[in-house]
Amino acid sequence: MSQFFKNEKEKLETAAGKLLSYAIKSGADKAEVCGGYGLKTKISLEKQDYQLASSDDGYSLGVRVLKGHRQGFASCNSTDPAELKEIAIKANEIAGFSPENPHYSIQQAENIPVEAPHNLVDPALTDLSLQSQKDWTRLMVAEATKDKRFRLNEGTVEIGSGISLLINSLGVRQMEADTIASWSLMGMGVEGNTITSFDYFSEISRKASATPDKIVLSTRKFIDEVIRNLTTGKSESYKGLVIFTPRAVLDILISSLSYHFNGRAVAENTGRWGLKDRDQKILDSRLTLRDNPWLTDRAGCSSFDREGTPTRPMALIENGVLKSFCLDHYSAHALKLSSTGHAAGGPSSLPSVSTHTLCLSSGNESKAALFTKAQQEQKSFLVVHRYSGQSDPVTGDFSGVAKGAEWWANGERKYYVQETLISGNLFEALGKDLVGISQENEVIDSDEESPTLLINNISVTGG
Amino acid sequence: MKPISELLQETLSKSPYWAEARYHRRNSQSVSVQKGLVKQAKSNLTSGVGIRVLVDGAWGFSSTSDLTPQALEKTLKLAIDCARSLSQLKKSKVKKLPATKLATGEFKIPGYDLLKQMPFEQKLQAVLKAEELTRKNSTLITSATCLYNELFEDKIVVTTDGANAASQLARNEIKLGAIAYKDGDMAESHESVGKTGSWDCLFSRNSLNQMSDSAAKLAVDLLSAPKIPGGSTTLILSPAMVGLLSHEAIGHTVEADFVLSGSVAQGKLGTQVASPLVTMCDSGTVPGVAHSGGELLVDDEGVITQKTTIIKNGVLNSYLHNRESAAIFEVEPTGNGRAWLYSDEPLIRMRNTYIEPGNQTLEEIIASTQEGYLVDCPLGGQADATGEFMFGAQKVTKIENGKLTKMYRGATISGQAFEVLSTVDAVSKEFLLDLGSGYCGKGQPAKVDAGGPYVRCQATIGGVQE
Repeated sequence: MSQFFKNEKEKLETAAGKLLSYAIKSGADKAEVCGGYGLKTKISLEKQDYQLASSDDGYSLGVRVLKGHRQGFASCNSTDPAELKEIAIKANEIAGFSPENPHYSIQQAENIPVEAPHNLVDPALTDLSLQSQKDWTRLMVAEATKDKRFRLNEGTVEIGSGISLLINSLGVRQMEADTIASWSLMGMGVEGNTITSFDYFSEISRKASATPDKIVLSTRKFIDEVIRNLTTGKSESYKGLVIFTPRAVLDILISSLSYHFNGRAVAENTGRWGLKDRDQKILDSRLTLRDNPWLTDRAGCSSFDREGTPTRPMALIENGVLKSFCLDHYSAHALKLSSTGHAAGGPSSLPSVSTHTLCLSSGNESKAALFTKAQQEQKSFLVVHRYSGQSDPVTGDFSGVAKGAEWWANGERKYYVQETLISGNLFEALGKDLVGISQENEVIDSDEESPTLLINNISVTGG
Repeated sequence: MKPISELLQETLSKSPYWAEARYHRRNSQSVSVQKGLVKQAKSNLTSGVGIRVLVDGAWGFSSTSDLTPQALEKTLKLAIDCARSLSQLKKSKVKKLPATKLATGEFKIPGYDLLKQMPFEQKLQAVLKAEELTRKNSTLITSATCLYNELFEDKIVVTTDGANAASQLARNEIKLGAIAYKDGDMAESHESVGKTGSWDCLFSRNSLNQMSDSAAKLAVDLLSAPKIPGGSTTLILSPAMVGLLSHEAIGHTVEADFVLSGSVAQGKLGTQVASPLVTMCDSGTVPGVAHSGGELLVDDEGVITQKTTIIKNGVLNSYLHNRESAAIFEVEPTGNGRAWLYSDEPLIRMRNTYIEPGNQTLEEIIASTQEGYLVDCPLGGQADATGEFMFGAQKVTKIENGKLTKMYRGATISGQAFEVLSTVDAVSKEFLLDLGSGYCGKGQPAKVDAGGPYVRCQATIGGVQE
């Protein structure tokens, strides 16, 4: 990070130092400052055309203070010393009247392991001209408008660079810089009176040289998926086998499942599992779920968390056995354990708990074998890709519309269905009702990854 | 130091092109409590200026948190550079913005000062008490939460064609949650309200104690409720559910930017899209309803908000516009250009979206329903460009032979919005804006409200299949 935003880095460090000092002078026993600087240029698309070009940069700083077991927090988007002083006083005021909570803590941190990613900056991205960004956007538009049946509703190509900083009064000082190219598209297929559902994708790249090809390939894949949804029909109602593609597995099942690994849910006893369940079998023994913050091509990559604790890859479930929970200092203190580096949030928010990049391991059957198995058991079945609905993480019940889902009968895809609802329970889906896991894995939106699953006892209600 | 509106005007006077400068200062505070412990109490201050320009038919935008004349001038220059760069690519140039009566002067929604004067500590104590009341309502309640948010918004919008409006409003919301547990079974419920105004505005319909009570009771009642069977059926939607339908499934499809992209509402102006019993509006202020969650007097393009009748007696009457789309459709802007922060550009967004009341009572509608469900307590939802929607509901009650009978666990309802509205055969006199807490998302959040009367229609319930 030697020359990367040298002035901005110095300005951020100076402001963060001042804020920490103001917080202690205003009465805090301990204080922590989270800061950030970001610069982004964005080209937006709308209504099949270029819509807007924009450029922004700015700082944000937040201070968390502890007075005994009382906590206060305040933040601003300025490095002006007067404003920093104001928020330091405000944070202390809030701590002054907040009730005590024994689990609030600000801690020292270990050093970041040498294996962790230490460089998320590609100078070629930082120095990218607006002309090159326009060229990349042109590539995306050309690909998106090749098929006239695709209607581009919104899209962006954005280059962002930033610095994240975490310091506290116990000597923690972590800083990380990042450059990232990101792009997204939202649109639908239109042919005569047939309109598909809205579809959306987003991807990232941290390497300038790889970005143009990634933009073209990801846009092409997306448009193909949207256009094929123009062949529509009705689904039948049944209870039985449904194929969940990787996006559906992550959206419907893993997003709700992750709630139960959240240390705060464990500490508050609102999750399904507790410390006594560690090393116990909780789900189907073919399931292994890991959280990996060190994958540099993923959006969730980082070397330290919102409290400055170094991150590390870890298994949450191994062969169906519960191995670990995701902890920040708060939940770690409540459970008498150590933080696992899962404090999440930014300068304008208090630390919460979140996973980094969840990876569900692949199984031992080919995707084709899963389709054959479904077909042997049932003459027709649903393949779910996307989902718009409710998932109650507490009960595990989910119910919603299967978007762009495929209707298969007699061994082949017949059409894509609309107005089809699915419902089930994630614990049963990943437990007794899990029939098969594919060997093939897919990374979704440059972040989490999953194989395809075949699941039984899902209720399908055709419109 | 010069007043901010003067600074903005001076900056814009240096622009050879149409330009808009928008100052926005937001002070937000929030507190959340769970199981008797304060999970967070925080304050945030954000301020800055966003400048948007129109150069050779293309938009450019830039923003800064630095309010010095030099920084503002640099920001204007950056916005012009961005627009110039884009104009070479843009196929369909933005037309000259329509001449319209732009807002000048001060626009203030009452309640701002009262809310500001009330100490944060007092609000925190109320939240602690509400959570405790919810948790202690029943021995079956194992966990309760209470969340309070407030936003104080100060804005000044200046444009080179005459807008110079200062607006001030405060938005607040409170949300209660309860988890009940019995014999290995769990049920969850939520109760929320969102307003534009003072603390007392939040409790004009139900006191905080009543909200705690209903959240706890619903969670306990849901414990013993069975899962609902799926299928197409007759539904009576509560005002909150009608609000979701109006906002998510119809409102988004008539936002002019979606229309131009090919939403299902494209080309349907003047055609029958719903039952003649349905008249739907989107408005900055709602007659007879003060302090609604989406109340807005002037939008972020300096246009005074107006009541827009989207559907009149079942016929599609108008889309929702910002200044750009109004120019394309050659109509007056409707005051729907809204931005979340100074660093966001204005987009077409709703305000308060609702179906107008009818002439039957809820009691009469239930009595005339042979078989169906009363659906209430929304859990959020989404809709598509096709008008296909999905809404969650916490509370579904069976209607048999004109009487409410058994309660079921939360379900999902779905359908194609215009088709569902075409099946409407009863609309109640009772009317409520009741979207509760939360925000509409469209790249940026926006605080909105929605509601209406009780409405009887046909749609699909997604339940279990045997």
